[in-house]
Amino acid sequence: MSIKVIKPTAAFASLLPTEYLELVADGPYASPKTINDLGTFKEIIAEHPHCAGCGVALGVRLTVASLPAPADTLIVGTAGCSFFGLAQAALNYSCSAFGNQNAVASGLKRMLKIRYPDTDKDVVVLVGDGGIADIGLDLTLHSWFRREKIATIMVDNEVYGNTGGQESGMTQEGQVLNMAPKGKNFAKIPVFELARVSGCVYGARVTVASPKKIGRVVRKAILLAREVGPTYVQIYTPCPTNFKFPPQQTINIAKKAEEGYYSFQEFISDDAQAYWEKNFASSTM
Amino acid sequence: MIEQRVVAPEYLFNEAEREEQFITGSEAVREAIKRANVDMAISYPITPQSESMHLVGDIYAEGYIKEYFRGENEFAVMSSVAGAAMGGVRVFTATGGPGTLRAFEAFPTWAGARLPVVCAFMTRGINSPLSIQPDTLEMAYMLDTGIIMLHAENSQDLYDMILQAFMIAEKPDVHIPVGVFVDGFFITHTRDRVKIAPPDLKLPPYNPYSAPVPVMDMENPPIRQMRDPFVMKSNFISYAAHASWQQEILAAAERSRRHIAHYLGNLLEAENETAPVMIVASGTAVSQSREAIESARQEGLDVGLVKLKSLRPFPTEELKAMTANAKAVIVPEFNRVGWLAREVRAALEAKVKVVGGPRVFGGMTMPPDLILDEIRRCANE
Amino acid sequence: MSITPYRVLVGPEGYLPPAAASRGILLPEKGEALIEGAIVPEEEAMQAIATKLLSAKNPFFFPGPQLLWDWKEGVALKAQAVKKLADLAGARVIPMPDYRPKYPMINPAVEINPNHPNLTIWHNKIDVCVFIGVHCHYANMALKIIRGGTSCYTIALCGEAGHEDAMISLCCMGMPELARLTEIIQSMKGEQAA
Ligand SMILES: Cc1ncc(C[n+]2csc(CCOP(=O)(O)OP(=O)(O)O)c2C)c(N)n1
Ligand code: SF4
Repeated sequence: MSIKVIKPTAAFASLLPTEYLELVADGPYASPKTINDLGTFKEIIAEHPHCAGCGVALGVRLTVASLPAPADTLIVGTAGCSFFGLAQAALNYSCSAFGNQNAVASGLKRMLKIRYPDTDKDVVVLVGDGGIADIGLDLTLHSWFRREKIATIMVDNEVYGNTGGQESGMTQEGQVLNMAPKGKNFAKIPVFELARVSGCVYGARVTVASPKKIGRVVRKAILLAREVGPTYVQIYTPCPTNFKFPPQQTINIAKKAEEGYYSFQEFISDDAQAYWEKNFASSTM
Repeated sequence: MIEQRVVAPEYLFNEAEREEQFITGSEAVREAIKRANVDMAISYPITPQSESMHLVGDIYAEGYIKEYFRGENEFAVMSSVAGAAMGGVRVFTATGGPGTLRAFEAFPTWAGARLPVVCAFMTRGINSPLSIQPDTLEMAYMLDTGIIMLHAENSQDLYDMILQAFMIAEKPDVHIPVGVFVDGFFITHTRDRVKIAPPDLKLPPYNPYSAPVPVMDMENPPIRQMRDPFVMKSNFISYAAHASWQQEILAAAERSRRHIAHYLGNLLEAENETAPVMIVASGTAVSQSREAIESARQEGLDVGLVKLKSLRPFPTEELKAMTANAKAVIVPEFNRVGWLAREVRAALEAKVKVVGGPRVFGGMTMPPDLILDEIRRCANE
Repeated sequence: MSITPYRVLVGPEGYLPPAAASRGILLPEKGEALIEGAIVPEEEAMQAIATKLLSAKNPFFFPGPQLLWDWKEGVALKAQAVKKLADLAGARVIPMPDYRPKYPMINPAVEINPNHPNLTIWHNKIDVCVFIGVHCHYANMALKIIRGGTSCYTIALCGEAGHEDAMISLCCMGMPELARLTEIIQSMKGEQAA
């Protein structure tokens, strides 16, 4: 039903700017697209003001290209660089106070479930590492403990990109950054491991060097969050501006990380596995 | 759960035959929420608010509310409440004192996002040192958050104002949050006679599609919208857009004046407003003032009273009119900073002498004699 | 309240014009409307709208998302009626398809955005404009910016409570009101032709 919100009224259809006509005709709404279709359809984020080579921009773009039901998806964000691309997204996007994303998403998801018991309204949290691991960690964990049916996705650039390159809890130990003038003196916060013990029924850790994997795990995380419980995806999204590497190196850096400390990892609960096999095992992705 | 039918708000407020009950302020909250057709309530304990949200939980269990849970802290609760309101439903929560300050960042985001949340604030002291006792200090901080602020004198006000708050908050031309403030313990934990509407009546449901902003449900256009802050670029266009947005939030509060007048009678109530000495108060300071005035009259002193019901928007013009004959205005308060005296002074523009006090705080009661002393001083000047 | 009542007049009013509601302008009740801040009968405002539109050099309608997208029953018909009204008034139409600020740049020839509506007004040299189908918050935001920086005369046809920030505003606008406004413009045009 909600696809109606992107059907033009006949009287004004011809007056819509090209970009909207393309979204209507070739967007991902009527027939959802996957990562494999990139380049063949009008994307939800056409343009964005991120820095050249921004890993976060790529992570956000790949995530929204992987949504199983974009016409019924709401993104909850927060302050941080992810805002730049998402503010241009052809989706409902909410962003209020820094770090409160999983609490906002909890209220939204529960109420949408009550208002639309028979329609899957996907509430997806998509924010940076600082937003999830530092200022919003308690709200993130509690949404998992409460088993809120939300998919939480971290675009992890291992730094506060938006405020000028400060240390975040996800920064690697030893890294010198603003506010860590002698190097960070504790390890990356193990959010991925916390997800596993805090109630997430599915988790995946990936990098932007593996777009197809992102497509697969994001979709799986959202579909499982609908019925089974909270899910978590952590995407390594390197930041050329604050780590001062050339923008064309982003993918290489992500690839190297994936071969080392940022290896691909996945976990799934028994419930989620059973549900997945029953409902989606035969699906192509 | 009693089967309920929807009635017009005016019927529920003014016409339906009321039954008088001898109940606590917390119970008055329960009775209001029972009739408010609320979709969701979220709680987090803090004295003296906790009991009212327990009781709201009880009526959730009975089926009067569709969803209820205990959040992890006040900032999270206020954020979840925001999410629910964005999803197009009627929500209620309550807090007080340190809880209000813990959640503080949420309140301007509610107003800025045009969320018609209703929140009760059972006021208490703010640390340090730790105090759970009555004190209205937190209201000083809330004055400029953009939310509408009503202040209840007693349990009757509390019951009425909570119900009325939903109607005011949800008006399409207003559509910003309403805080109903009540002095903790003095009202929440004491019994009083409260006249309440029959339990089988409730308010009409909230219609999200009349809201001044789209609902976040993907069922109304545009598909590309942002709730809330939207522009982060450094150029004049962004500044102008943000400024116009903020002006619109202030305008929404201005528009609430006539709705407040419609439901509450007026933004203030006055007695004997031609008197040379006037007391201007809100909350339980009004009740203490009534007693002081009674004694003063027995002494032959001519004193009037203005009870402020709405603090945001502030009834500046009405207050000016009600104190036009006064040579002195006394503002008794339950806090150390005297935020109401500041407001009154600003409104009256130095045309009248404003006595900022008496003030008590930290849980102290306000003996009417303190106010009486002030009346005597002003009357004899 | 200030001694001289505030009036909602054509701009450019200046750097940061106030919200009219904050200057004491009240919204109309059903059956009433606003002209430049004063409450008048709806019929009078409709006449004024017709006059404004028919004497304009370059009038434009700005239909918002609620009319551009076929999201609920009745919208398609209403959109048709609005298009007819615009055509009859000799006004062109520029849509406001959504509310996010345009990045990297708006094409002001084909669209208007509530965060920077002045760009579209300036580009097309619009002297009279009509807002319809825009959520109230965004309409008010845009109307103030237009009043601040342009000399465009603003008209709001609002289905809810109306807009103090427009120079003429109707409220509670439904199909019957739309039909009545169309009728008035039709007959005014007839008189002008005669
Ligand atoms: C309460 C509050 N504190 C601090 C900030 C400033 N702030 C905005 S974004 C940000 C860091 C964002 O870092 P991260 O979440 O890692 O996202 P990134 O920008 O790196 O993508 C900070 C500290 C804020 N907006 N609000
Ligand atoms: S600062 Fe880093 S994360 Fe932010 S936009 Fe630039 S490259 Fe991306």
